[in-house]
Amino acid sequence: MRRVSKITAACAVTAALALTATACGESSTESSGSDKGKMKIGMAYDVGGRGDNSFNDSAARGLDKAKSEFSAETKELTAKNGETPADREQRLESLAEGGYNPVIAVGFAYKDAVDKIAAKYPKVSFGLVDSVATAKNVDSIVFTEEQGSYLAGVAAALKSKDGQVGFIGGVDLPLIKKFAAGFQQGVLDTKPKAKVQIQYLSTGSDLSGFGSPDKGKEAAKGMLDKGADVIFAAAGGSGAGSIEAVAGKKGAWSIGVDSDQALDPALSKYKDTIMTSVVKNVDTGVFDLVKSVKDGKPVTGTQAYSLAKGGVSLTTTGDHLKDIQAQLDAAKKKIVDGSITVKTTT
Amino acid sequence: MKKIDKERLLLGIAAPVLAIVVAFLVTALVLAATGKEPFSAFGIMFDYGMKSDSQVYILNKATTYYLAGLAVAVGFRMNLFNIGVDGQYRLAAFFAAAVGGALTLPGALQIPLIILTAMIVGAMWAGIAGVLKVTRGVSEVVSTIMLNAIATAIIGYLLQQGRLGHLDEAGTKISTTPLPESSHFFEFPTTPSPVWGFIVVAVVAGMAYWFTLSRTRFGFDLRTVGQSGSAAEASGVDVKKMVVTSMLISGAVAGLVGMPTLLNDSYEYSGDFPIGIGFTGIAIALLGRNHPIGIALGALLWGFLERGTGKLEFEGYDKEIVGVIQGVIVLCVVIAYEVVRRYGLKRQQSKVGAELAAQAARNSDQQEVSA
Amino acid sequence: MELRGITKRFPGVVANHDIDITVRRGTVHALVGENGAGKSTLMKILYGMQKPDEGTIAVDGEQVSFHNPGDAIDRGIGMVHQHFMLADYLTVLENVVLGSEKLHGIGDRARAKIKEISDAYGLGVRPDAMVEDLGVADRQRVEILKVLYRGARTLILDEPTAVLVPQEVDALFDNLRELKAEGLTVIFISHKLGEVLSVADEITVIRRGTTVGTADPKRTTTKQLAELMVGSELPSPETRESTVTDIPMLTVEGLRLTATDPDGVVRSVLDGIGFTIHKGEVLGIAGVEGNGQSELVDAIMGMRHLDTGVLTLDGVDISRTPTRKRREDGMAVIPEDRHRHGLLLEAPLWENRILGHVTERPNSKGAFLDLKAARADTERIVREYDVRTPGIEVTAASLSGGNQQKLIVGREMSHDPKLLIAAHPTRGVDVGAQAQIWDQIREARREGLAVLLISADLDELIGLSDTLRVMYRGRLVADADPATITPEELGSAMTGAATGHLEAPDETPEPDDSGAESTDTDPRNGGEDR
Repeated sequence: MRRVSKITAACAVTAALALTATACGESSTESSGSDKGKMKIGMAYDVGGRGDNSFNDSAARGLDKAKSEFSAETKELTAKNGETPADREQRLESLAEGGYNPVIAVGFAYKDAVDKIAAKYPKVSFGLVDSVATAKNVDSIVFTEEQGSYLAGVAAALKSKDGQVGFIGGVDLPLIKKFAAGFQQGVLDTKPKAKVQIQYLSTGSDLSGFGSPDKGKEAAKGMLDKGADVIFAAAGGSGAGSIEAVAGKKGAWSIGVDSDQALDPALSKYKDTIMTSVVKNVDTGVFDLVKSVKDGKPVTGTQAYSLAKGGVSLTTTGDHLKDIQAQLDAAKKKIVDGSITVKTTT
Repeated sequence: MKKIDKERLLLGIAAPVLAIVVAFLVTALVLAATGKEPFSAFGIMFDYGMKSDSQVYILNKATTYYLAGLAVAVGFRMNLFNIGVDGQYRLAAFFAAAVGGALTLPGALQIPLIILTAMIVGAMWAGIAGVLKVTRGVSEVVSTIMLNAIATAIIGYLLQQGRLGHLDEAGTKISTTPLPESSHFFEFPTTPSPVWGFIVVAVVAGMAYWFTLSRTRFGFDLRTVGQSGSAAEASGVDVKKMVVTSMLISGAVAGLVGMPTLLNDSYEYSGDFPIGIGFTGIAIALLGRNHPIGIALGALLWGFLERGTGKLEFEGYDKEIVGVIQGVIVLCVVIAYEVVRRYGLKRQQSKVGAELAAQAARNSDQQEVSA
Repeated sequence: MELRGITKRFPGVVANHDIDITVRRGTVHALVGENGAGKSTLMKILYGMQKPDEGTIAVDGEQVSFHNPGDAIDRGIGMVHQHFMLADYLTVLENVVLGSEKLHGIGDRARAKIKEISDAYGLGVRPDAMVEDLGVADRQRVEILKVLYRGARTLILDEPTAVLVPQEVDALFDNLRELKAEGLTVIFISHKLGEVLSVADEITVIRRGTTVGTADPKRTTTKQLAELMVGSELPSPETRESTVTDIPMLTVEGLRLTATDPDGVVRSVLDGIGFTIHKGEVLGIAGVEGNGQSELVDAIMGMRHLDTGVLTLDGVDISRTPTRKRREDGMAVIPEDRHRHGLLLEAPLWENRILGHVTERPNSKGAFLDLKAARADTERIVREYDVRTPGIEVTAASLSGGNQQKLIVGREMSHDPKLLIAAHPTRGVDVGAQAQIWDQIREARREGLAVLLISADLDELIGLSDTLRVMYRGRLVADADPATITPEELGSAMTGAATGHLEAPDETPEPDDSGAESTDTDPRNGGEDR
């Protein structure tokens, strides 16, 4: 029965380790101090991080702008796949503890972590993109994606020959559904008889729909075959596939997302068929927060970067919207003055 | 005999140690190739990993990984490759979260109910692969991979508003109804942050695993099938039944994988519930040689690596480096085990041969003398 | 060829030491010795598969050193292995040229060369036949031709008769004489002394890894040779007084089993098998391997479901009983392939002792293993059955074949069996262990067990059995009285040439009968029917 004692010993060691964790040396967060003076901005990206050609990149643009403007020091950390809430908390905490202020969390996945860590570091200003935190020292930066998408819907309805348009969502997340809802409403308000095909590339926690241009291309081809001639893809990296497929069909238009995709070097050869892009100006939100901290009056609460505030907009690269600009402006006015309320769910 | 025993133990430890040392050397080369000083990186990792909050983090992480490793190891001992632990634990955690969120029973009732739900869902999901294997001859590798994808789709479908999902006020995050306070698992009140109470369940699961495999008839049958299907069949084990049973057990343990996160951390299942831990479990089971203590060490090492690299990223190293270390470790482990196994077998054979030859020589000498 | 002072230290088996052999050109030189005496090791050294630690090899007076089989082939030494190394789905021609494409190409030149060799030595090989269609003897001739094709002048044949029936052995020996007549040298390894005496010109005997003497076949008897080989009195498988009772222990009735080929043809592997083994009786089943013996064992053990038929063990119908229950009820098995069916090679001996009897004492109490008792009982088996091992913690793989088999016998006899199924119980087992195993089988019989003995060793069958049956293409085609039958008669029944009761030659029915009977069980015929 030698083995039994071995097991018992191992268990005892484990238990001891667990219970004496407090005693084993100092905590990692006790040793580092923060030096005053230079501004330090901490940024915690969602999965993908800088270089995702989507909203992480948009946040990074805001960071870069703030960095050069305020000659700040920055630290950027990125989430991995398969994280637990504890990982995200750790990331925010290491930034807060490292003296970074503000600490900006990009992505709704950070909500709970921000709430927890912000409460622990009341003197640090936090930013949370795409979700609303409850802690007081947090600037919740949210966007009215549905409003931008509404305008895209109006444009699509006007540009489509027979009112057949398509929407490709990367993953069927609530966030993407906001795009779909706004787009659909915009199309139908403009052309009640129009038909909107909606398709998501992947579902639930399978985020591959954001990174599979091949899937985007297939979906777009299918929609084109069924007669659609305007396709709006809110699908991250998969959108490139859709844009490519649309470019292959004469007279069809594509609508990009997040950043101005007509200016994307990889997609610029299709720019004649990219009607516009619905951009979400995360960079504005990020920069505003940094600036407010710099000025000593940190923004807190929920900042809805709406159409009215320029938080979402349509790009005009290539001037493809010139002929319908009047209608778009009218629609925008109605949203801004509240006579149209855009739905957030389909 | 003691000598051979000790040697076996030594050989058993030699393989993972060898693998880890080689892995670190390879990683050092990679770091050097990226123009960074490798040894300071390891220094940072070790320093940081030894801090008290890191210890808590590592223990908590390891709890999840340990359960994943066990789930995979149950299959491995049977020569079954349960790649589906990933889908099993996610589906299990999802349904357990849904059940937990829908009820408000006293904790003493509700927590076991949640855990039981998870185990049953995990077992059922894995059982599908087991049944397919014995009735239709479908390789469990193929079917569990497929079932992973199906689990993702089922969760995607059900985790929507109006079904089992709830949208938060910002309209961006969708999750199941959070568990009531009473269903939160207990924690060890360590500072600076608590150690999850689920570690106790993990330890119990490990002991049950060890006891079942090495001390029960059932465990013996299971190991027999793993070592030689033909010998097991001849010895009277119903191999088909065993395949299904062990898949059910593997799935039930897989059901536990999501529980530390659910009951001690997130208290809900949302779109960002950790994914991919099933695959981590495969690596950890390999690393731990399917041994309950080995798996524990593997899980702790994994937690340590993840903790340490978080810091590395903070210090300006590429965060991908941890992936490199982990990948290289797994690769080295597989190679090192095979090398050490062959060496050990050969060594034992030659030792037995030598001892017997000596015996025989003595005997024949005597014979010749007497003749 | 001369070997001088060859010594090889090799773990696990008896090492070669101080081997001295002189083989003259143009002779058949037999190398005899019991299993495990070191013959195979010596041959591997000769063929360059292993290097000797000491000693020299000289070919035609010139000292040589072989590093691999290629070196040996360059010196004109070729080896025909005990287990054929042929690709089933290639033709004879393709098998022969495989790896030697440079010699005569792969086309007509090679075919012509094969014909030439085949005719020269009377091998009768058809270059374009598929190897899978060939019988064992034909395959062996292909192996010989393969070696000759590569230019060998000295052939090593490792136990070439082990797989052949007596008639085929005679044909092989005719081939060997042809080779000798053409000036080739044959080294013939065997432990079947009768064969050795009939074909060899010179004999070298190996015992415990060393050469103990040479013999002239013209002036030596098998008994003398055997005593030289074993070093003491020869163990014999003979069973003395009869212990057969009239209480049936195992009854098999109308057993039928079919199998589906990979190409979808359903053929019957066992057809209408029926026999009874009484308490204290050994029923021996003779037959060329692959005629349904393995399937019969599987069926009795419960590893295959019967299509039809009834099995009764000690008065209880066990036709649908699971294997485990059958074993608990007193079925002991010494499997044909102990590595696949009888052992966990990488598990320690005491775990192997539990194997197959995990539900029985002393291995377990209720649902839990009783490791202490199992270990203690393993010690007992090791002691009582003379398993040569340094301890019970070593893996089964590290034991020699004979000791593995003794462990299995000890294990199976430790659970009060009623029936012992012994499939090739002494295959790959050294002479010492062989005698012990035979003793155990006799002991079992004396204690009133029913024993089903399946073997390819006709002497063993005749010596141990009370009743003999011959199995051919899934049927029991003949029976014989072991007291009067000769191996030759048995051998002819094994090829399907004789059926019925084999006591007197004139009672043998027309061969036509068996031919007609067997058509429906012939796999090749089945294929053509489609």
